[in-house]
Amino acid sequence: MSTRPTSFVERLVRLAGPSSVITDSTTVESCSVDDIRPAVVAQPGSAEEVAEVVRFAAAEKLAVIPVGGRTKLGIGMPPQRYDIALDMTRMDHVLAYDPGDLTLGVEAGIGVESLLEVLGERNQFLPLLVPWMERATIGGIMATNSVSPLRIAYGGPRDFVLGMEFVTGEGKLCKSGGRVVKNVTGYDLHKLMIGSLGTLGVITRVNFRTFPLPSAQRTFVAAYASAREATALVQAIAKSPLSPRVVEVVDPAALPILRSQTLPAGLWSVVIAAAGNDKVVERHQADLARMAHDSAAKEFQSLTDEDSRVLQGRLREFVRHIQDSRPAAVIFRVSSLPTLIAELVEKVGAIAKRTDLASCSVVKAGSMIYFVLWRGGGEPESGLQPACEEIFAAADAVGGRAVIEWCPTELKREVNVWGPTRGDFELMKRMKKVFDPVGILAPGRFVGGI
Amino acid sequence: MDQRFIREMKEILGWDSVLERHEDLMMYEYDGSVEQARPDCVVFPRTTDEVVKIVKAAARYEVPMVGRGAGTGLSGGALARQGGLMMVFSRMNKILEIDYENQRAVVQPGVVNLDLTQEVEHAGLYFAPDPSSQKACTIGGNVAENAGGPHTLAYGVTTNHVTGLELVLPDGGVVRVGGKTAESPGYDLTGLLVGSEGTLAIVTEITVKLSRLPEAVKTLLAVYETVDDATETVVEITARAITPAACEMLDGWTLRAVEEFVHAGFPMDSAAVLLIEVEGLHEAVEWQAEQVSAVCREHHAREVRLAKDDRERELLWKGRKNAFGAVGRLSPSYYVQDGVIPRTKLPATLRRIDEIGKKYGFQIGNIFHAGDGNLHPIILFDQRDPEQFQRAVNTANEIMQWCISQGGVLTGEHGVGMEKNELMPLLFSSDDLELMQRVRAALNPTGRLNPGKVFPFGKGCGEVRVQPLPVSAASPV
Repeated sequence: MSTRPTSFVERLVRLAGPSSVITDSTTVESCSVDDIRPAVVAQPGSAEEVAEVVRFAAAEKLAVIPVGGRTKLGIGMPPQRYDIALDMTRMDHVLAYDPGDLTLGVEAGIGVESLLEVLGERNQFLPLLVPWMERATIGGIMATNSVSPLRIAYGGPRDFVLGMEFVTGEGKLCKSGGRVVKNVTGYDLHKLMIGSLGTLGVITRVNFRTFPLPSAQRTFVAAYASAREATALVQAIAKSPLSPRVVEVVDPAALPILRSQTLPAGLWSVVIAAAGNDKVVERHQADLARMAHDSAAKEFQSLTDEDSRVLQGRLREFVRHIQDSRPAAVIFRVSSLPTLIAELVEKVGAIAKRTDLASCSVVKAGSMIYFVLWRGGGEPESGLQPACEEIFAAADAVGGRAVIEWCPTELKREVNVWGPTRGDFELMKRMKKVFDPVGILAPGRFVGGI
Repeated sequence: MDQRFIREMKEILGWDSVLERHEDLMMYEYDGSVEQARPDCVVFPRTTDEVVKIVKAAARYEVPMVGRGAGTGLSGGALARQGGLMMVFSRMNKILEIDYENQRAVVQPGVVNLDLTQEVEHAGLYFAPDPSSQKACTIGGNVAENAGGPHTLAYGVTTNHVTGLELVLPDGGVVRVGGKTAESPGYDLTGLLVGSEGTLAIVTEITVKLSRLPEAVKTLLAVYETVDDATETVVEITARAITPAACEMLDGWTLRAVEEFVHAGFPMDSAAVLLIEVEGLHEAVEWQAEQVSAVCREHHAREVRLAKDDRERELLWKGRKNAFGAVGRLSPSYYVQDGVIPRTKLPATLRRIDEIGKKYGFQIGNIFHAGDGNLHPIILFDQRDPEQFQRAVNTANEIMQWCISQGGVLTGEHGVGMEKNELMPLLFSSDDLELMQRVRAALNPTGRLNPGKVFPFGKGCGEVRVQPLPVSAASPV
């Protein structure tokens, strides 16, 4: 390497102050993305400081990746360049919380678990039951559009984020939206930020609408012999007047990963959580029991609170459990439609079988499918590329939208984890150019090499 | 306007799909706002293909263009501020696909909001956004303005119900963004486009979510002796997180105007009423209705009436949704404002609006989505009197400034359009506005698509070549 990195680090220290710039190897290593290490970690304490660092990076053409709890840095393609990790975890404050208005504004580096505790004291919550609960930050959850099972009842971040502040690739602190629950003033730029993996801006503040905690909750499990029968129940629930807050389908092959004692072995389980007042919960139990019976479920049970808590925790941490037990697994995230689920599950199962891979699936929030593929027997992972391409094609053929959310870095040399680009890619490139004209924000990590 | 361009329009669309005569164009110089601007030519495409041809021709002749649905918008979004071409989508009114199993519909932009609901309600489904103009307004217009309505309190506004769009860009390129699924890889361009007020692209096809009709509905009318009691009730309902499906307020002046016209059953001698609806499972609705009634009584409601049947319920809603028509009978002109505040600020804000009205010497009625904190003060004035008009605008601006000082915003559902574009700096910094304008320039580089909307003229952006307005078009009367 040239001498440039040392000199830019010195200049950054001069600008941001020695206490905000960290070069020790453990911290730097913890911010690696696909085995690529930054030269330095900056820890801004305010949005203005974020802007200052990004302006510096833009002037010096240094690549910046924002990091929070460092739980989801493996998502996306390897960065083309990576000089500065922008550690947002010092920005962990609640900036405005108006429980009477059910609105909230927080700094992006706040941990979701501690935020939920603050809201819980006022009997409120955010529908973000996301993996790495104890470490994930709001900024990272937004940037990766993390999947929460509660989407089926409350929608995703695009539905309950009211506004954002962010620093663009030119180091300008900008905002869109607002703090009120209804707003059409100006463009919804914050919608572009959600899921953009830090390629458009560094999120510094997020405003949310909050929700009341339900007074009662209960979890039910209906178990079936096949994916088709299980997903038929999901569709029947969608057509019923019921409004469960969780509907997940668990493949029996996923049970060893979940290490769940609650779900019956060898069967496809539909996990349903109902919430509301006691009568609403009772009604869900009665109707679901009847629907399970009518659809020839092998089992139907209502879980104890403790079993429910453990099971929902394991389902929430599903992708993390996969990485703990099968670090080389490939995890697809497929946005689907209720009628496509069974067909996709069967197709992916067939592809896995043909290519000698083990596989399992979990359907979240009624239509978001996680497919997991791994090689049994612990031999080196190779030959996964054709199977991945086939899965992209299979999803595409029925109108599903697939990405590989997690896979080993080596596979990213052979497969673009975002799948093929579409007709809208040209517009995405134009957006990138607007927000980050120099191309310093997480370059190369996103769709089509953005 | 270049006659060769009009000839080309007729060649593309046929003579019966192009208007150019002065008296025909006058029909299109208004929308639901107090603004006015006349197009030079109005066309009625039937297909995306025709839209592409029109747009390409407009690009060659450098003609400004604006899309229009039913023209019910309230911020001048569908007016030809710089003249030029207006594309009216009333003939692109086909429902292209209904996917009952997956609760999706694919529609052309000219489909009327309520028509979609009527088409699918036999299957227990409906399209949730329900602006008061839903019998007339189009889904394309809803998408452009990110329209709301009373029931968005529980179900969200248009953007929460749109998953995909087909776009025609100002250069004639056709792009699909999003799809039927809830999400697509890459940036959420659908989320950007919905509510962009027709300034980024022309939407030619829309994929929407269909919602399931609730099993039970209860509608309550709470009657108050003071406005404060009514607004305090809303604060308390929000704080207790009862989340009704709709929570509307009419003040005494407005409800009397409505009652004389619609005979909905609003008590003529009250100071305010709340129209509150709870929906869902029978079990949930019973409980919610009890909770709502209790809060209303605690805040001195003189009466809490439960609609006995569908007929009574529909009558109450008819009163709400036809309110602007009722007001129109009483005043030569009225100016419907649209602002939002945190719900905790409702009581102080209603008091402030009353003071502002007195200060400027106007009667201001209030009928609004109280549960969202989405205000609609109605200022009664005579537009024929330029001094009054200016005073009405000043009154509205002062209300807006108050909303923003309370942590609110300029518009909750009507859009910025040409009504509030000059107020945008109250809420956004020059960096915010420049970024938004660069987003516009990325899709609409010449600025010919719906020019003069959303952004203030004062603060131009180097990359955006917006022509200064001719004085005649800028003058509102």
